[in-house]
Amino acid sequence: MTDDVDPRLAELASLAEGDPRRAALRSEIVAAHLDLARNLARKFDRRGEALEDLVQVATIGLIKAVDRFDTERGNFYAFAVPTIMGELRRHFRDTAWAVRVPRQLKELHVTVAAASAELSQTLGRAPKPSELADHLGLDREQVYEVLVAGASKQGASLDARLAEPAGDRFGYEDEQFDEVDNRRALAPLLAALPERERRIVVLRFFRGMSQSDIARRVGVSQMQVSRLLAKTLRQLRAGLGEDSTMAG
Amino acid sequence: MSEVETETVTRAARVRNVDILVGADADQVPLVRSFAADIAMRMDFDLDAIEDLRMAVDEACSLLVRAAAVESRLHCAFEPEAQTLRVRVAVDAVDDRPPSADPLAWQILTALAESLTERVEPAGGGVHRVTVELVARPTVMDAR
Repeated sequence: MTDDVDPRLAELASLAEGDPRRAALRSEIVAAHLDLARNLARKFDRRGEALEDLVQVATIGLIKAVDRFDTERGNFYAFAVPTIMGELRRHFRDTAWAVRVPRQLKELHVTVAAASAELSQTLGRAPKPSELADHLGLDREQVYEVLVAGASKQGASLDARLAEPAGDRFGYEDEQFDEVDNRRALAPLLAALPERERRIVVLRFFRGMSQSDIARRVGVSQMQVSRLLAKTLRQLRAGLGEDSTMAG
Repeated sequence: MSEVETETVTRAARVRNVDILVGADADQVPLVRSFAADIAMRMDFDLDAIEDLRMAVDEACSLLVRAAAVESRLHCAFEPEAQTLRVRVAVDAVDDRPPSADPLAWQILTALAESLTERVEPAGGGVHRVTVELVARPTVMDAR
């Protein structure tokens, strides 16, 4: 695991853009590394969101990582971990509340969240508390209060933590078994999708195209692309039986 | 039992050195990571950097708690520096296995921290002092 040089990554890089073997090989590599996506997703489950949704987001990150990995770099982990985390982090820029927060604070949170999104755009990175305070004309303590309250969106952290098997959160031993199963399972599921769904999934997750670009190319609205992707991923996940293999 | 000790001298960004001592137990880790996030917030780290630190501390603490000797304590020291925050987490462990022996945990920490070091030293009485030290950066650029 330390020197992770999956020979399939090099093989993938060597295939021409239009090679029909590409899609199958890509999904095979993705399936082989699903444990990584799961483990990282689990780090974010303190925010009270359903773990399988997070695994889905992490898997998107994983697919992007496979897609963009430069084999010259050597270590796939070193590239995949930040890519998957970036995906999860973006996903969390907008989440629901798990505990009751005083109304005024909650409204202030919406304001801070909006300002955060806006400043992220202009700054090209997440804003600092001081920048939020300046932008909104609040004092820093108010922003701190909102941010700490925002952290309580994590809600269930303690319970979730205790539910983890103690001392063995990563389950290396059985990883190979999972891999074999997932690899075998994912390829036929992808192949069984209707033409349009498969095309959208491939464009989005294997080529990294935006939903708007896909919408233009496939000739549907962006909203439809979004709905089809969500539905298709649900199917794939159900087909993989992710829930039952989650422990470990 | 938990203890928090705050240094009397004020450091960078008006944040002082803080030492936390908690039972080396998984249910104490959320307390430590919230502490870490609060310090980063007051040092004006950007929101992604705050989250990264929270996660890094969670990872480091979880890693060490798993290794810790029974009934031992987890020591976490926060030392604000001019631009960065130095965090040192340590436990006493029976095993002298270095933290980096867990490749995934170590890779996650590497991705989250600006720099990362580990130490395993004999601590007498058949136990080893296992330390993870990381330096957190105040801003994060997404790898897209």
